[in-house]
Amino acid sequence: MIRSLRTLCWLFLLAGLAPLAATVWVSFSPDSFLTPPTGEWSLRWYGRFFADPRWTTAAGRSLLVAVTSAALGVTLAVPVALSKSRRLPLVMLLPAVVPPVALGLGLLPLFHRIGLWGTTAGVVLAHTALGLPVVFLLLRTRYGQQLVECELAARGLGANRWLVFRRITLPLLRPAILAAFAVQFVLSWNEALVTVFLTTPATETLPVVMWSQLRGSASPLVAVAGVLSAGTSLVAVAALARTTAGSPRRR
Amino acid sequence: MIRLASAPAVALAVGVALAPLVFLLRVSLYESGGGRGFYAPGTVTFDHYAALVHAPVAFTVGFALVVAVLATLFGFGLALFLDSLTSRRQLLALGMLLAPKLAGALTAAFGLQRLLPHGTLAALLAEVTFVLPYAVLAIFLRLRGIPADLIPAARGLGATPWHAFRRITLPLAAPGVVLAFQLSLAWGLGAFVGPLFLAGPAQATLGTQIHAHVAELRWPVAAAEGVLLLALTAAAFAVTRTRGRE
Repeated sequence: MIRSLRTLCWLFLLAGLAPLAATVWVSFSPDSFLTPPTGEWSLRWYGRFFADPRWTTAAGRSLLVAVTSAALGVTLAVPVALSKSRRLPLVMLLPAVVPPVALGLGLLPLFHRIGLWGTTAGVVLAHTALGLPVVFLLLRTRYGQQLVECELAARGLGANRWLVFRRITLPLLRPAILAAFAVQFVLSWNEALVTVFLTTPATETLPVVMWSQLRGSASPLVAVAGVLSAGTSLVAVAALARTTAGSPRRR
Repeated sequence: MIRLASAPAVALAVGVALAPLVFLLRVSLYESGGGRGFYAPGTVTFDHYAALVHAPVAFTVGFALVVAVLATLFGFGLALFLDSLTSRRQLLALGMLLAPKLAGALTAAFGLQRLLPHGTLAALLAEVTFVLPYAVLAIFLRLRGIPADLIPAARGLGATPWHAFRRITLPLAAPGVVLAFQLSLAWGLGAFVGPLFLAGPAQATLGTQIHAHVAELRWPVAAAEGVLLLALTAAAFAVTRTRGRE
């Protein structure tokens, strides 16, 4: 009985991948009907995607936003993760509590008022804040008792605070910093629910263009965009797995 | 020093999470712009709140409850499954679980559009797909914290597998199950990608209404709906919290 239940769970997980498989399949379609290619496979829609400035500009902007917000988010979150305060962690989780629709909707008039609406900087700020809960939790989980003891030992041996931070804290936090960077990159790269409220046609990100094409007559171009966004996330995670596996763990 | 360096992150988290709420409240009380601007500055009206009686509250709450129940049930099952696997297979299963998250909600929505006929069922399945990884992880992390020798000990003392599950696994996993339910309920209340792309006007939720009203540049109407959504989310957390303590 247990064995058949396990098989069922594997099948369930496989079924969860079906939409992605369908997207990949449709992206290789030779015609504009959204039917999977049966006989002939074609890269036609990939060519169209890269020839269309709307898609490529949006993809470029998404990349810029994702890298910037990942760097910004990790930089801002490290000091909070190192603080001994008990209240700060709760504050960091705030952006995760508010529903994304309400966040986007509320940020819209706020950004409009302060001149950030429809700007790339506004999108970066919003994405950074949205990712703070996860980034912070990843860093905080790593910065445990063991790391604090290493710091204390270094202090006891006469190192000043800055030296301890540079030579002990940062190297030991490295795996968490890389993981937080990769996770925040993927979160920002895929973010649509809030971004769709904050962008204008001049500042669209890749998911926002997908959003505009998803209703009505979606074209295989959306499938190409989907494959590319999934592929980029996968590369980010694979790169992370490689760097963390490659670095010797110093304890 | 650390306190000072923490300030930007705190300011950003508070600014982006709480400041919009203030703006939401204020904008919801403006009169509509009527074609000139997004709202009429300097005005105060409660009309948009009165109009909320027409908002699809019942459907939104019902939809969210079904999403939450399904995500919690499937999440519990999958968490137990993950917990029973060897570490290598566990990694594979986690990867399969998180793959749709990596691909992004819109990619998943596009794929589901190809596979399912539009309607309530497709919208439900989409939202369950989006929130399921969080539900599974919330319960799985809890299951991993259960000492490995508790179940064999109970079995050694004569408990049946079912009895051991009911008296040990279930109570110890309960906080994770409650958290999974809360997360997916909150997520379901704010659902709009599923209903928007995989269903039609008949399946309008507060989320899709908000999105539509923003697109129509009726910000005050959308803001009032946003306030209602926040109130519902807060109520959902309050109710499930007391349940969790009992």
